[in-house]
Amino acid sequence: MALLEEPIKEVKVLKNYINGEWVESKGELVDVVNPATMKVIAKVPISTREEIDAAVEAAQNAFYDWRRTTPLARSRILFRFKELLEENFEKASRIQTQEHGKCIDESRGESRRGIENVEVACGIPTLMQGYISEDIAHGIDEWCIPTPLGVFGIIGPFNFPFMIPLWSAPYAVATGNTIVIKPSSEVPLSQDFLAHLAEEAGFPPGVWNVVHGGRTVVNGMLEHPKIKGITFVGSTPVGRDVIYRRCGETGKRCIAQCGAKNFMTIMPDCDVENTIAAMMTSFFGNTGQRCLAAANAVIVGDDDKFYEDFVAKVVDRASKIKVGYGLDESVQMGPLRDPAKKQNVLNYIEIGLKEGAELLLDGRKVKIEGDLPDDCFVGPTIFQNVRPDSRLGSEEIFGPVMSIMRVKTLEEAVEIANANPFGNGHSIFTSSGKAARYFRYNIESGNVGINIGITAPMAFFPFSGMKDSFFGVLHTQGKEAIRFFTESKVVIERWF
Amino acid sequence: MTIQTASEGISFARELETKSADFYEQLAGKFPAQAETFRSYAAANKKHVTNIERAYYGVITDAIEGCYAFKLEPEQYPLDWELGEVPELSSVLAKALQNEETIVRFYKEAAEQSKGTMADVPRAFLLVARKHEERIEELKSLAARQ
Repeated sequence: MALLEEPIKEVKVLKNYINGEWVESKGELVDVVNPATMKVIAKVPISTREEIDAAVEAAQNAFYDWRRTTPLARSRILFRFKELLEENFEKASRIQTQEHGKCIDESRGESRRGIENVEVACGIPTLMQGYISEDIAHGIDEWCIPTPLGVFGIIGPFNFPFMIPLWSAPYAVATGNTIVIKPSSEVPLSQDFLAHLAEEAGFPPGVWNVVHGGRTVVNGMLEHPKIKGITFVGSTPVGRDVIYRRCGETGKRCIAQCGAKNFMTIMPDCDVENTIAAMMTSFFGNTGQRCLAAANAVIVGDDDKFYEDFVAKVVDRASKIKVGYGLDESVQMGPLRDPAKKQNVLNYIEIGLKEGAELLLDGRKVKIEGDLPDDCFVGPTIFQNVRPDSRLGSEEIFGPVMSIMRVKTLEEAVEIANANPFGNGHSIFTSSGKAARYFRYNIESGNVGINIGITAPMAFFPFSGMKDSFFGVLHTQGKEAIRFFTESKVVIERWF
Repeated sequence: MTIQTASEGISFARELETKSADFYEQLAGKFPAQAETFRSYAAANKKHVTNIERAYYGVITDAIEGCYAFKLEPEQYPLDWELGEVPELSSVLAKALQNEETIVRFYKEAAEQSKGTMADVPRAFLLVARKHEERIEELKSLAARQ
């Protein structure tokens, strides 16, 4: 199968997008590398404190007019933005594959999920309506008016460079706020492309800003008094100990969506073929680099034959996954994002072996389709006899590693999942409604899957999370995002 | 090479329809009495591509099993698009019928394999298969009139 054409053909030097202008940064330039080919595809600036401050000032200045722009007018710009995203759907998807490594079906899926958030935000004239009670006392009426707050910071992760900032950005601007996005400096091209489309859609200068960089930019956002809130997706240590804590200290609203260790409970009455297909996507999709990826497969029951047959099928299927460059349409799994992330996965494989887990499929011996450097590639890896309290069974690996555990009862499966500090996206595969209800009711997980391997909520539902997977109150996406980006102004009115 | 991913499956369907459209365009040029019918087939082929792509791009998400949607062997769907130097209508109609039956078989198998994973795509495949089945009846009727 021939490779799809790469949209980025020359090394692009990225600029910040501040106040409607493409501004060259004074910061150091860092290479952006395609992890499949290891070729440099762009150079991204590590912007300075002055540059993030300038972006926040521009966003604050734009806020005054933008919040006075009618919701209908804001919605029309979002509709234009959505049209441009559809027109550029394939290009945006291929950029994701080039900068991140995920395969093309996954990139297109990411594009669709991102665009859906823009679609939902287009409904802002009704989504943002307040409510009123007449005659709360004689001749007195009371209203609640959702009002925008000002400037919001959006800090994106490396694993979904296109979609995740769109969990927040469309809702923030739809409600009349202005934004500064800091994409991951590992994968900044998708947000660069999106900002060009936002400009073309007609957002006024200063409403939509992008500042590339690292800690300096993040610190600048956290410390800037004019930033009213931050949305963040990334690791638990950073989300909890830096973003959430410092937002609390500076009085900012905060959504911090963090790490995970997702348990997939497999009942003996599951539909085996469909469960295995879902497992391949959940454990190995996006090369395991998603906060909703399954990490532990918990097989329930004491039927040895079921267990052995099931595991044999899983290993057989996983061993046939085609690994390579995501722009090859036949490839089912791409590389990890960079060599350090590969090394992290390799370290966990060693840890698993030392902890006594049995390696059934060794991703270190991966066959890569095509003539590609192996700097970032690890194949699907499967362990069995993994203890839930071991490092392999309890820590977030963020790679294509499946840890198989065996328990006797559903109750025990729920218990070990709940004992883990994370609570992001646990799922069950069963044909029993009773088992499914027990699981749904008792599992401590923000997102729950019943015969669904990746429990990604649609744009009109909140992207939830519990325990160490989420810090904050309201979530991104849908109505909760609208609430996050607005303050409830309550008016009590009487006329003499 | 086995087709496994959604992207490959859609590309294969696109190729079938595009080559089929080219085939009927050529027939339209060679058989003026049936040109209108053949051109309408070519136009329908292009519409099928649009409908399949619309279903795929509308439903694809990072959460569905797009990379594991199919297990199709392309060589099981051999198609012969060659017209030869001096084609006769009866022989090209026989060829067209054979191709159409193969295309229907592809869509039905692809729909069956992906029905648990690809949401609207199998429905689009079945709809297109039905259109090709209607075409088969028309081609048979055309052949019978020769």
